[in-house]
Amino acid sequence: MQTLSLQQAARDELIDESGRLRPVWRRLLGTLLGLGTATLRERTAQLDRALAEEGPASLSPVAGGAWRCDPIPLLLEPQEFAALEAGLGQRASLLSAVLEDAYGAGRLVDGGVLPPALLFAGGRYLFPCRGAPGAGLLFYAADLLRRPDGQWCVVADHTAAPAGLARALLNRRLMARVLPELFRSLDVAPLSPFFERFAASLAALGPAESPLPALLTHGHADPNWFEHMLLSQELGCTLVQPGDLTVRQGKLWLKTLRGLQPVDGLLRMVQGTAIDPLECPGAATRGVPGLLTAMRAGRVWVANGPGVGLAEAPALPAFLPLLCRHLRGETLALPDAETLWLGDADARARVAATPASYAVREDAARALPPASYAPGVGPGETLEPLPVRLRMFLIRDRAGWHALPGGLARVESGPSAGMAKDVWVRLEEPEDIAGSHPPPVPSPAVRRTVGDLPSRTADDFYWFGRYLERLEHAARLSRALLGRLSRASLLPHDLAEMTALSACLVDAGVLSPELASQAGPAVLGELLTGALAREGGAMAAAKRDVQHLADALRDRLSGEMHAMIVQGVRALDASRAALLLRPDPGVRPGLASLGAHVGRVIAFCAGVSGYAAENMVRGGGRLFLDLGRRIERAQGTAAALARLFAGAPGDAALGLALELCDSTITYRTRYRGLPQTGPVLDLVLADEGNPRSLGFQLAAAASLLEGLEAEELARLLNGTLASVREMAARADAGGLWAVRAEAARISDAVTRRYFSLLPVTWTGTQR
Amino acid sequence: MRAEIAYALRHTTRYRYATPVDLSAHLAHLTPRPLPTQHVASCDLEIEPQPSWLETGEDAFGNEVRWFFLETPHAACNVTLHARLSVAAPRVPPATQTPPWTDIVTAAAAAGPGGAEAGPFLFESPLVEPAAEARDYAARSFSDRRPILEALLDLNARIHRDFAFRPGVTTVNTPVRQVLAQRAGVCQDFTHLMIAGLRALGLPARYVSGYIRSQGDANFVGADQSHAWVGCWLGPQFGWLDLDPTNGMVVADEHVVLGWGRDYGDVSPLRGVLLGGGAHELDVGVSLVPV
Repeated sequence: MQTLSLQQAARDELIDESGRLRPVWRRLLGTLLGLGTATLRERTAQLDRALAEEGPASLSPVAGGAWRCDPIPLLLEPQEFAALEAGLGQRASLLSAVLEDAYGAGRLVDGGVLPPALLFAGGRYLFPCRGAPGAGLLFYAADLLRRPDGQWCVVADHTAAPAGLARALLNRRLMARVLPELFRSLDVAPLSPFFERFAASLAALGPAESPLPALLTHGHADPNWFEHMLLSQELGCTLVQPGDLTVRQGKLWLKTLRGLQPVDGLLRMVQGTAIDPLECPGAATRGVPGLLTAMRAGRVWVANGPGVGLAEAPALPAFLPLLCRHLRGETLALPDAETLWLGDADARARVAATPASYAVREDAARALPPASYAPGVGPGETLEPLPVRLRMFLIRDRAGWHALPGGLARVESGPSAGMAKDVWVRLEEPEDIAGSHPPPVPSPAVRRTVGDLPSRTADDFYWFGRYLERLEHAARLSRALLGRLSRASLLPHDLAEMTALSACLVDAGVLSPELASQAGPAVLGELLTGALAREGGAMAAAKRDVQHLADALRDRLSGEMHAMIVQGVRALDASRAALLLRPDPGVRPGLASLGAHVGRVIAFCAGVSGYAAENMVRGGGRLFLDLGRRIERAQGTAAALARLFAGAPGDAALGLALELCDSTITYRTRYRGLPQTGPVLDLVLADEGNPRSLGFQLAAAASLLEGLEAEELARLLNGTLASVREMAARADAGGLWAVRAEAARISDAVTRRYFSLLPVTWTGTQR
Repeated sequence: MRAEIAYALRHTTRYRYATPVDLSAHLAHLTPRPLPTQHVASCDLEIEPQPSWLETGEDAFGNEVRWFFLETPHAACNVTLHARLSVAAPRVPPATQTPPWTDIVTAAAAAGPGGAEAGPFLFESPLVEPAAEARDYAARSFSDRRPILEALLDLNARIHRDFAFRPGVTTVNTPVRQVLAQRAGVCQDFTHLMIAGLRALGLPARYVSGYIRSQGDANFVGADQSHAWVGCWLGPQFGWLDLDPTNGMVVADEHVVLGWGRDYGDVSPLRGVLLGGGAHELDVGVSLVPV
């Protein structure tokens, strides 16, 4: 019964024009029905979970939203795929030829084939690329819909920076894991040969012996960041952002800790208009100054070439049949959805006659056919016909254009709109699995760790360490203040401690200085509650900083470590949200629940640090993470102790100093008495065996800097360490602010020396 | 053989940086363009300090470009152009014998000979956004089927009459709309305004960068600095003719052309990107004198 209703509803994909079940679906449907509804529902949920954990949803929400994948693939017969591959290959060659002429001889316009508006209106023509289109079109994607007559037609071309390839790959991997039975019912063409061919065609653009391609992205600010990471791994490209690169002596270099490393080409995943701020005035300042000059001089390749976005001009399809005859002497094999150029008076009249049939974009009017339907798991968790659009991907090598035997289908509309479907191409004969062998990829050169780390990555690790420590420091101070606020009766020394702590919390950016300075206990409690519990509070902001850097470093952290951070962050979000979830909005969260929340923040920080210490490779990113933590903790500890010892170090200040440095128990076991100035200062300032003492931070940072061969910075830190020891010996805590300032200066020096992400300035000329 | 005037041209640009710049990249459109009416006898571009890398090439519009890169810390950068050249006045067709402007609109929009040459100058560009106000202002000179040159000369004269030359009231990014509203600006603004009006009517118009002579019988506006004016397309038969709305004149033998583009951004004489450095001071001197 279910099969029958499916057959009736899901026309097109399942059923051909003559009403017969397309043979490719027969076996798959059998397997699907054999699985049963409950199993299918469970597998759908498994796919959702896998995508949540391994897809972009594992990053913060800005990075592209949740991906879903239907457990039912879209099936293509081998003959149908071959026809699509040939048709799209012809189209890609045609678009290449149009681009070559547009950036070269200009014969198509001069010869009366293309009106100038097709090239020059709309802002897609990249004038700096005239005469030098770079590597041209190498990677191409097209969106297709199946028309009611069964013929596929092209509805969108993607040439600028095609998206979706890595998503298709991830879908396939997860499908293979979650639904192995389906793969057993059909021989499905594997995707990996396409990626091998892609990597080889990039390698062929550079020098033969040591190709060094990189994938250029804007990083985690880009909605496709997650795909860029996957793709760079799959293609063996270094993942770089414009700030990581510099042009020197006419060549392109990656800024690494060991110095400049050559890059011979870029797989460009950013807009072509934004790759060189020198030549794209008005565009964002992002980009690498001189990149286009180096490209024109033939010293670096850029693929796709920066100007190829021109081929996405919405009116161009109206001219493709003519262009194909003119340039190739052939008929265009794959039709487009009906497209009219509105620069033409007849076309304007046609659109005016039936405006509802067309969608107008810029100077083009398009009539899209209705999408075809394919079976899928719909919102009701049962098999339903869903409207689908197919995206296919092609790459070019010396032999010509090759399509991915698969693709990314997406639900076009309705409640499941945007959900992906894996695309399966059935293999005709089992031996097809071997397929045509792509050329061999040279094996990558052996890489060591510290030196090859891009400067920006080191910078991100450094600040990851600093923000993590900043979060922990804020949490520890908050915990100390909460402990005192919850005391039943407040003694004078409690009040003194609270004043000191609120000053520390102001230094740490948790409380605002105007309010906290005159606040009594009740108001302080209120302020601290706001800072800890509100979404806009200081604690949530500090947590977000950590989270952003973890996302930016996603490709450098192990999946396990990243997952641990993401889950920790989510748990903290939930814990914070629970503070505000009360039946009566007038009732504030109790101090005890605030304390528990702060405890979770501290545990989170400790967990991340512990994980890094146990699992990250020493050197490289780990080294900078540690350095960031040490420098930040040195600054935080110096500031807090300076506040506590601002007056004469009384009992209250000494006890609090031990508490903040987690040294109360050590002190008790060592000295068995009330805190005394000399021993306390020794323990919190000089004792290098105490991991929370100021001296420990300075000594540890100095040794990390020695490991980075930054001897002069290490010497500076050792000088500061000597002055801290002296302070402890004299039992005089004056001079802690100077220590804090010195640590900040060293942090600046580290930034200048290793990261050199210098600000960009523009110069114009006079007017 | 028409009379030529020989000139000596000097254009100096001096940058001083508050703190040394680690790395700078520059793009110079500082080479007078050889033309049938402009013979460049000698041309020399001095750059100080010595660039680590210098490339010479042609841009999309056929202008010569120099790209240069300074890769060691520097607190200053001096660029000086010295040139000797001679200029002849172009042949200007009688205005009444030029085609109706609407024919030029049709010729420019159509695919065909000249389309690739005029096409880039027919549409909006980064600094010349479409503005209905500019269109309305220009349209008053373009009555039905009026000969193109007659209409252009009228528009050129109107801008000269209606707008005050007043440095400092606009910047590179001041929109045409605002220039129209305040009826004041400098030569770049009047040029962008006229270009915006012409393109809105469907006529190709290009931004010409160059200089106007320092001494002479007339007292030219825009001398001793970078100057700009409008290149207008009179159709396939008559080609391009330059008009200077700042001085309300047809460009003859008192202008020197560096190059042209869609707007100021395509052909600004010198621009750069600095890494490090911070604030900078700029000092520019131009002289174009007959010799």
